[in-house]
Amino acid sequence: MTAASHTAEPALAADGLGVRYGSFVALKDVTLRVHANSVHAIIGPNGAGKTTLFHALTGRVRPASGRITLGGRDITRTRDDDRVRLGLARSFQVTSLFATLSVRENLRLAAQGRTPWAALAPWRRVPDRDAALDTADALLARLDLAGVAGRPAGELSHGQQRRLEVGMAMAARPRVILLDEPTSGMGTDDIGAMTDLIRDLGRDHTVLFIEHNMGIVMNISDTVTVMRAGEVLVEGRPAEVRDDPEVRRAYLGNMITGDLR
Amino acid sequence: MTRLLERPLVHFGLAAATALVLPLVLRSGTLASEILIYGLAAAACNLLLGYTGLLSFGQGIFFGLGSYAAGLLLLRAGWPAVAMLPAVALVGAATAAGVGWLSIRRQGVYFVMLTLAFSQLFYFLSYTFSDLTGGDNGLLNVPRPRLGGQALADPWAYYAFVAVLFLALFAALQRVALSTFGRTLLAIRDNEARASAIGFPVRAFKVAAFAISGAVTALAGALHAMLIGVAPLSNIEYHTSETLLIMTIIGGAGNLFASVLGAAFYLVAGDLLSAIWPRWLLLLGALLVAIALFMQRGLWGLIERAAARLAREPRPDADASADATLPEESRP
Amino acid sequence: MTYLFQILNGIGLGMLYFLLAVGLSIIFGLLQFVNFAHGAFYMLGAYLAYTMVEGGVSFWLALPLAFLAVGALAALTEAVLLRRIYAQAHTFHILATVGLALAVQEIVIIVWGPIGGNLAPPDSLSGVVILGDFIYPEYRLFVIALTAVLAGGLWWLLEGTRLGAIVRAGSESPETMGLLGYDTRRINTAVFGLGAGLAGLAGALAAPIRGVDPFMSVEALSVAFVVVVVGGMGSYAGALAAGLAVGIAQSLMATLWPEGARLMIYLGMAAVIVTMPRGLFGRA
Repeated sequence: MTAASHTAEPALAADGLGVRYGSFVALKDVTLRVHANSVHAIIGPNGAGKTTLFHALTGRVRPASGRITLGGRDITRTRDDDRVRLGLARSFQVTSLFATLSVRENLRLAAQGRTPWAALAPWRRVPDRDAALDTADALLARLDLAGVAGRPAGELSHGQQRRLEVGMAMAARPRVILLDEPTSGMGTDDIGAMTDLIRDLGRDHTVLFIEHNMGIVMNISDTVTVMRAGEVLVEGRPAEVRDDPEVRRAYLGNMITGDLR
Repeated sequence: MTRLLERPLVHFGLAAATALVLPLVLRSGTLASEILIYGLAAAACNLLLGYTGLLSFGQGIFFGLGSYAAGLLLLRAGWPAVAMLPAVALVGAATAAGVGWLSIRRQGVYFVMLTLAFSQLFYFLSYTFSDLTGGDNGLLNVPRPRLGGQALADPWAYYAFVAVLFLALFAALQRVALSTFGRTLLAIRDNEARASAIGFPVRAFKVAAFAISGAVTALAGALHAMLIGVAPLSNIEYHTSETLLIMTIIGGAGNLFASVLGAAFYLVAGDLLSAIWPRWLLLLGALLVAIALFMQRGLWGLIERAAARLAREPRPDADASADATLPEESRP
Repeated sequence: MTYLFQILNGIGLGMLYFLLAVGLSIIFGLLQFVNFAHGAFYMLGAYLAYTMVEGGVSFWLALPLAFLAVGALAALTEAVLLRRIYAQAHTFHILATVGLALAVQEIVIIVWGPIGGNLAPPDSLSGVVILGDFIYPEYRLFVIALTAVLAGGLWWLLEGTRLGAIVRAGSESPETMGLLGYDTRRINTAVFGLGAGLAGLAGALAAPIRGVDPFMSVEALSVAFVVVVVGGMGSYAGALAAGLAVGIAQSLMATLWPEGARLMIYLGMAAVIVTMPRGLFGRA
């Protein structure tokens, strides 16, 4: 561990991570290395512990055992909101927005979340122009949501809401961005745009994402981790994972329909 | 027309108009003062309910403590009102921060039940330590503030004093609601988990909201004690908490002026009905059930609906005016 | 020895608190409905028992009748009114039941007057028992015995019967209940009636101890809240343990610091919240 060179330092790492809900073991001894500026996918059947892993990584649940590091810094005991300041942000599988607030305000708040204590100022007005608003406006353009910027987030179409959901994670300008099933429930047209967006994000961020659509996983991931029953089954490059006999037997079967074929 | 109703300046104008019109339509200066005092306390309750999503059954704690603190500082310590008022605000803020900090350790209905239990705690505290509070009798002979060497004995003179403070505090609450802080409260109200996930320390924001609400409520309690000349035990009772909450919901959550409207409606209806029938609270009970069933946005919701209807007929494209403070972008 | 006496007193009081809180708890468990009118049902039970006994009805008949009458009234209220509000936010559950409680309180004042009254225990229980060095009122022993039997019966009802299984399944996932073909509406009404009936029975049992007055409802409601906050909502064992703890603490304090006895309930609750934010048996 000490001998590792600086360049090999993973952006996000988990060592021997375990999570329990009462007597139910949701995660068992999960070790994961997410390398900087890579796109890393997590796949696995329902109940494999993928979302629980995200909850543990982002601080929503306390792990029973193990260690989490972000850029080499131990964040195992750091609160969820503090992890955002350290450069870790996430989107949710089930869209979770500020439904009555405007799209632009949703993004402004998400950008402000990076410096939240500055918002704890009951006398300070929201300025007409500030860094958070600039971030929000840039994201509106990038996510193709400028046309609906003033609408309440709850009134958007499903595809728009999913884009905003990912945008909320991007707004914190994190080093590592965690996306929980970004394409869930999307139509084919929207999926293409989302795939491009995730690929694009991998250039200046580190992306860890959970996905069921194997086409996307195989096309844009640098690394794929397969989980089953709270454990890591296999990890490797997409082609390796796809050809791994155990993965085929255990989970994938004929499901691989990606363009790689 | 509907957009107009969203403007903060319009709300402040309505509050100012209320303060000016009350003397013209009411014969009792005491009732008029009560409307502004309870309106203020209800608006502070609204900061928690409508802006932060916290249904606090403990607002009576801060109102009652404000009355007691005013009485003690004026009577025992002999402070002048100008020094007493900031001290009362501090007492209210500190107590509310403490009660809030404890209560938000639980969420949802548990939170509501905790605030109610804390209001009982403070009631029994006041009842038990009667040396300080006067117990059942309350603190008697709380003096009115003096202006130019003369106490504001005349109801309307005191009303003027209340009205000035009311407008200043209403403007302050509005400023809070529109600040970066207030906008974050709205986010917490909408989706607490997400607010936390994007980096906001939600607890600190909730405690701060409690402190502000408690400070304003305590000031209202102090004004009330000086109005009636007593800091009574009833001000810290469950029923005060209940009344403030009812006023807030009748007016409409999420809108500060609506709380003034709710307080005015409650007090004027109570004044008229109780003269005819002492058991008018029975009707109020029925009204609350009706509001829960049919009128969830309160009186303000009715006004908005009426305004929307008015606006629809003459000018269909009235949406063109952009709001100055809320970020609105017209669609292409 | 006085401590033993006070502990015995506290058990009686605590069992009444349990009866009150467990009703609130099962209503919330199944319906996710916070019933702020629970104290009002408690008060109605007390007043009904009081009126019946005053009117010559035997106390032994008055007890079950108070339970049935309050339960039926609550079931009717649920069927006509409250079920229309379930789909809405908790704020409106609270608003509607606060309104209901207010209306009940005013009706009680209209019917019985604002003063309240006292109810003597039945003749057969008006004596005292001599237990070693101290004497103890028979009626209070009877309350302990009866509530213990009722607690056992309730436990059987919730853990050992089909209704209990349905209620538990329903609090886990209401959809399943519908899918299994149960008439959820009738079950909801029955459970609401049962929970409120228990409050009414607690009120009737408390009447000979504390008398009746139109403001007893608020006190009962807040004590029930303390019990469920400490014990955990939807938990039978939590309601029992917390009810007893609150009752005994209050009773013991009555000898040490009489004026502060009721204050202690709430200070104790605050202490639990600070040290164990999730309560004694807390899950949620």
